[in-house]
Amino acid sequence: MLLRFLLQKPKSDKMKLNERSVVHYATCDSPADKTGHLYKKGERNTAYHRRWFVLKGNMLFYFEDKESKEPIGVIILEGCTVELCESMEEYAFAVKFSCAKSRTYKMAAESQAGMESWVKALSRASFDYMRLVVHELEKQLEEMQTLHGLPGTARSHKKSSGRAKSKSISAAAPAVATLAKGPQATYNRSQEETVHFATTAKENGVAWNKPNVVLNGLCPTNQGSKTLPGESCSNDGTKPPPVPPRRKTVTGGVTSTLESPVSPGTVCFSKLHDWYGKEVTALRTQWQQDQ
Amino acid sequence: MRFNEKELLCISKQPSEKAAELGMRGPKKGDVVKRRLVKLVINFLFYFRTDEEEPAGALLLEQCKVEQEEPMAFSVAFLDESEKKYLFECESSEQCQEWVESLTRASYEFMRRSLMFYRSEIHKLTGKDPLEQYGISEEARFQVSSQRP
Repeated sequence: MLLRFLLQKPKSDKMKLNERSVVHYATCDSPADKTGHLYKKGERNTAYHRRWFVLKGNMLFYFEDKESKEPIGVIILEGCTVELCESMEEYAFAVKFSCAKSRTYKMAAESQAGMESWVKALSRASFDYMRLVVHELEKQLEEMQTLHGLPGTARSHKKSSGRAKSKSISAAAPAVATLAKGPQATYNRSQEETVHFATTAKENGVAWNKPNVVLNGLCPTNQGSKTLPGESCSNDGTKPPPVPPRRKTVTGGVTSTLESPVSPGTVCFSKLHDWYGKEVTALRTQWQQDQ
Repeated sequence: MRFNEKELLCISKQPSEKAAELGMRGPKKGDVVKRRLVKLVINFLFYFRTDEEEPAGALLLEQCKVEQEEPMAFSVAFLDESEKKYLFECESSEQCQEWVESLTRASYEFMRRSLMFYRSEIHKLTGKDPLEQYGISEEARFQVSSQRP
């Protein structure tokens, strides 16, 4: 009897999460990245239930309805892919995780447009993706500042932690625009030393509004100071925020973070981005075929 | 509130930005300092009992405030209950400062602000929006004006 007891592995307690604060994050007035109704397939009760979804960063909260005070649950969107799935439901898609024994979340939107929009938003919601984009832009800015002979605000604040620059990205950065659909980046080393980004005919200029307003209240924290997130500072704003930390191994070494866990070979951002883009294209094609 | 624990567990096993054994005290009255392996991965701070493979818990680092409390200790508090602080004791003031810096920048929201900064700076230099080439310039989360729901 005692032996049996000793051999039984005690069931581990569920991992604690600072739930109350996470619920606060879900319901506070920080802006959401996307909200809307979606149908979600239940875990045990396999019917689809209509829920109100709120996406903030890499956290997808779902509420019983729009007026609910607290979410029923949250799906942490790291290491997942978003795919179309075979379903009786129209506009269905699935969120699949790459880690072992993971649950697949099956969802359905209320329209084609809704489905495409959610798939796009969810597939790019991860912290990893955001970090990649930030690193890309940081590199671009650095290169431009070097080109222009500017004080190099991005570089001077870079941590000298000895992390290895991913060669594929450094090489690709000036040409990265060429790898995306359309834009040709040419560095025009004329007397003016301007950088030209020729765009495709389909100018997507709608989104960029009021560049002067950008830094109001959004001054990034200065390295070494104790300014806290959310604290605004004066708009003298040439100091860039410190670089978001690259992943280090526990021993302090550096790993390339650019490989998407779910898409091997995506060691450079442009490839990863293309991969995401292909996913969306594939979804579209599939839907059109299903029509 | 339900959450996908398996995925969180998976995240906790990934290489971390920062990890160290620290003294950790919970926010409730009567909580005492315990040795924990504290590990920062993306916007989560995991804490493990020494010699355990799976974390005892995780803190999502959004809407939080990180402060140096003493030369060798810092606190993490969440904005909904800012008096309730998690306290972390370090080996040195240097280590303490490094943790404060790292945790302050660990949130998704902080990254978003960095992105907006770089986007703006590049736009100033080139007159072009660098996110256009990636087809994500229209996404609500990158918009300056918060007209998001």
